[in-house]
Amino acid sequence: MSVWNPENVIDVAESIGIASLPRDVVEHLARDVEFRMAQVVEEALKFMRHSKRTTLTTQDISQALRLLEVEPLYGYESTRPLRFGEASIGPGQPLFYVEDEEVDFEKLINAPLPKVPREMSFTAHWLAVEGVQPTIPQNPSQADQRNQELSAKGPGANSTLAAMSGNDNVSVKPLVKHVLSKELQLYFERTCSAIFEENNEEYRAAAFASLQTDPGLHQLVPYFVQFVADKVTHNLSALFVLTQSMMLISSLLENPSLYLAPYIPSLVPSVLTCVLGKRLGSPSQDGATTHFALRDYASSLLANVTRKYGSTSSTLKPRIARSCLKHFLDSHKPLGTHYGAILGLTTVAGAESVRELILPNLRAYSEGVLQDAIKDDGKREQAEHVVDAIMKGVRLLDEKELDQEALGDVVWQRVQEAGMV
Amino acid sequence: MAHQPPPARTASAGPPSAGGMQTPATTPGPGQGGGSNQNLNQIVLEYLAKKGYSRTEAMLRKESAHTDPNGQLITSRVEETGGKMYRTSFALLHNWIENSLDIYKPELKRILWPVFVHAFLNLVGDFYPRESKDFFEAFQELFASEHEDDLRVLGPITEPEHLQQNELAQLFRTNKYRLTISRLAFTNLIMFLEDHEKEGGTVIVNLIQNFLDVRTPDRQAAGGQRGLQRLLAERNGERDYPAEDEGIPGHNPGSANVSQSAPSVLSKLALGPMPMEPDMMEDVKAELQEQDGVHPPAAGQNSLVDEFEQRIKNEPMDDVPSREALPFPPSTARDVAMEVQKVKENRDRFRVEGRTGGVGPGLSVTMFTFHNTFDSINCIEFSGDNTLVAAGTAESYIRVWSLDNRALTSPSDPPTFQPSSSRRLVGHSGPVYCLSFSPSVALPQAQTNGHTSLDNSLDSQPRFLLSASADATIRLWSLDTWTNLVVYRGHQSPVWDVRFCPHGHYFVSCSADRSARLWSTPQIAPLRLMVGHDSDVESVAWHPNGAYVFTGSGGSDRTVRMWDITRGSAVRLFTGHVGNVTALACAPNGHVVASADDRGEIILWSLATGRLTKRMRGHGRGGIWSLDWSVESSVLVSGGADGTVRVWDVQPNKESNGKVVGEGGAGTKIDGATNGVGTGAVTKTGTGKAKKDVVVSPDQISAFPTKKSPVYNVRFTQMNLVMAGGAYLP
Repeated sequence: MSVWNPENVIDVAESIGIASLPRDVVEHLARDVEFRMAQVVEEALKFMRHSKRTTLTTQDISQALRLLEVEPLYGYESTRPLRFGEASIGPGQPLFYVEDEEVDFEKLINAPLPKVPREMSFTAHWLAVEGVQPTIPQNPSQADQRNQELSAKGPGANSTLAAMSGNDNVSVKPLVKHVLSKELQLYFERTCSAIFEENNEEYRAAAFASLQTDPGLHQLVPYFVQFVADKVTHNLSALFVLTQSMMLISSLLENPSLYLAPYIPSLVPSVLTCVLGKRLGSPSQDGATTHFALRDYASSLLANVTRKYGSTSSTLKPRIARSCLKHFLDSHKPLGTHYGAILGLTTVAGAESVRELILPNLRAYSEGVLQDAIKDDGKREQAEHVVDAIMKGVRLLDEKELDQEALGDVVWQRVQEAGMV
Repeated sequence: MAHQPPPARTASAGPPSAGGMQTPATTPGPGQGGGSNQNLNQIVLEYLAKKGYSRTEAMLRKESAHTDPNGQLITSRVEETGGKMYRTSFALLHNWIENSLDIYKPELKRILWPVFVHAFLNLVGDFYPRESKDFFEAFQELFASEHEDDLRVLGPITEPEHLQQNELAQLFRTNKYRLTISRLAFTNLIMFLEDHEKEGGTVIVNLIQNFLDVRTPDRQAAGGQRGLQRLLAERNGERDYPAEDEGIPGHNPGSANVSQSAPSVLSKLALGPMPMEPDMMEDVKAELQEQDGVHPPAAGQNSLVDEFEQRIKNEPMDDVPSREALPFPPSTARDVAMEVQKVKENRDRFRVEGRTGGVGPGLSVTMFTFHNTFDSINCIEFSGDNTLVAAGTAESYIRVWSLDNRALTSPSDPPTFQPSSSRRLVGHSGPVYCLSFSPSVALPQAQTNGHTSLDNSLDSQPRFLLSASADATIRLWSLDTWTNLVVYRGHQSPVWDVRFCPHGHYFVSCSADRSARLWSTPQIAPLRLMVGHDSDVESVAWHPNGAYVFTGSGGSDRTVRMWDITRGSAVRLFTGHVGNVTALACAPNGHVVASADDRGEIILWSLATGRLTKRMRGHGRGGIWSLDWSVESSVLVSGGADGTVRVWDVQPNKESNGKVVGEGGAGTKIDGATNGVGTGAVTKTGTGKAKKDVVVSPDQISAFPTKKSPVYNVRFTQMNLVMAGGAYLP
């Protein structure tokens, strides 16, 4: 008769001491129970809908009970869907129950704390650009969409209306060819060659001046970015080329009419290379320490970039800091790299990063790397540079934060010499 | 008395000896004694004849004529079969309608649903539990597609007392279901029912008389709406929709007056934008002039002053709401700056001009996907200046993030506090269902070459945030100090939706207690109560001029109503949804309102005439959570549980036979050839295949699927960029 088994009503009646219930009453009650349950579920569905969910949860049910002025059921709160176990109490009579895990109290107390769930966060991406959905990893692929009804079909479908949607077969937008005018191409070639004109200071200055001020360069920006990336990767031993490349980037950054934010992710690797590079320039030609000047310049560039664009990309600063830290902590890297890493960390995030990232590792670094290097005649000069860089960072801190324990002997000595403590 | 269950009728449990309407078939007695009974009659008759008691004999013959040879009663009227009569009668009606002429069929089919409901309710009310269940199961398939939700509510009703406690049953029993059938069709129906009086006709006629309010206009008089051609066109379209005036709050289309004798004249609406204060207008003009001086307009661009004056010139003078009726606090410098920026953004916006030459405009959509939410986010809201996003969670707190990764600080922060780009607002004691930022516009800042300067003028931030929760309260939060300022109590049940007035100061909320309320931020008691919905009020929206609000209801009501907030009375009523209304949005031009339901349908309503403009389908099941209009009111965008953002063409379909939009080599293209209000193009897949659940109507311009992320909010910025927010649910 009813879905709800009348036997249950008898069971409940017996449990509260009513031994015999007339059959009529039992069936009546069973039907009533069914109706009430439907009522509760109906109310619960409202809560589900307003929570913008498509699965009903136990919270919805307890909210519904509260709305119907019934005491909610306690102990069933769950953010996950409940798992149901099944037991058989006879042929064809499955019994369902909520699986309750047995927890050993002792174990629970001694167990390490569970991992903190990951922070709620958001990311942004283009779902559509001028009516066309870009094929990026954040958007579903064509295969994912197959079972969704996305466009109108059938006799009434108006294909012209949907023509812009990109999901139709009416017209495929051709790949846009980036057309550069002759003049711009010429300008690009001339500027690039002028910048690397080693013997003509005047040429170089003119090229940079033009890059810093010319308002019409926007179309060339991707080409310049690509150009710099090429030059940097292929000329790691030519200090001059690297320096000029960095100056090119700096000029672009200074140009007030260029909007560089979209190109920052592709610019940063080149700059980082000049900060952290293992071997920049060739010691035989340029001397052992000239590359420090390049690292200085590049790291100031890096600071400039993060200051300007840190707010447009929430991951920019952490990414730079992470790669700097990685190089700093790698004791197999040459001192030059360490120098760049310390400089990068200091300039990108200031006192904060010195305090959080450099200080805790300083002692180990000083004992593991610096002390040996200073004793070694061949490396002393470089090591001094590194110590200078560290000092630069340490100066940002309060004197209260400084102590010999954390700084390590070498730096502590310097700190004392400088009279900071 | 009628609800006293006579135990004799509990067919399943009643003792075999029960009398009354119990048919003898279930009693074991007559079955075996049938033969002897017959013989006995024969013997008595013979005896009477022999004795010459002719009159007694005649009487016996006459009286035994109603029983068949087995001694069972021969029923001549279907009413005598008790609980089975409704089933027989309904089957009769259904068969006849199925076989009726095609021109009447779509209209007549509409009568099946109310008759079905009332037959079922009567069965339950008369206490035929088994018969009512049989009846329900036999015919529920017919309505499964259109009335799925109602069937789910009706199904478990088995006892007469449930009728009192079920909202839907009460609605049906205490109201008359209004239905319009053209006169000829209705006459035919009544003639048929009278002809088949004994097979169930009377039962149906009684139901129609008692519970239905049938309007019978002449087909000719009704014109295009019910014209023959229209009906024939709809045959392919499989009309599954209730007519606009059909249903329980059956009304004269558009009118909020539901009485049967309501005048057909609609109350006049003031749909124009709210006029600006004269002082403020001067200030804005002066400010714009200054701006023009500093940044002269580019070639081909209007100056800001021109733009502003054009806008004022285009505003109608007659149908604007009066400022006196709706007092606002005096405007501040911030208001002037916001107004200036609005004019500026309006000039510089990306224009979405509707379809040009039949091609829909291409929109850009930025999607903000929330991760690690575990489905606990209930709502997402963006601020008007696009700097903040807020999410209300099932865990009763609200979290606000800065979109540009700026630290959110408060003057009351302790010095050791490390500000981050997100803040938690804790205060509610139940899931937060809706948020609304006070109006704000991104104020200008030294913006050269796209490098945002660091000292962002804090002024552009909205000052307040409203939240509505299941704890029946609404809270006002300050976004300067990040604290709770006011708790508005008044609603009796969970508050489903809350919206700030487009000009700030006022806000409107709606709740499961079936009321919508108007509040002003400085007062803790509601200013107006808007009561009239028969079920939960599920969503609200403001008219852009701030003089009207719209409410949408779910449950058994499913209407959209428009209220005049100065008088607190309903001025329009729109029926036609088959699902719960989940989102509402009024066009910025103030003439059209769009409403969406959880069956994936969007309906556009014209406010002045109070009529349905068109239906648009395409979203999957599970609810359309958000709607918004482009600045020009030319395009509607929607986002929903099916994880898509869809763009819709809002131009009304024409009743005419379509026009030629272009001739190509392949042939002539006809635009809008199958234009009927509300007929989606049905994908006719092969006969073997099941009919597809989702039908995309031709008004859809584009659809953008997300990666497993239901879209909770879509919003057009002042510059016509679409922002969408959703939670990634792997």
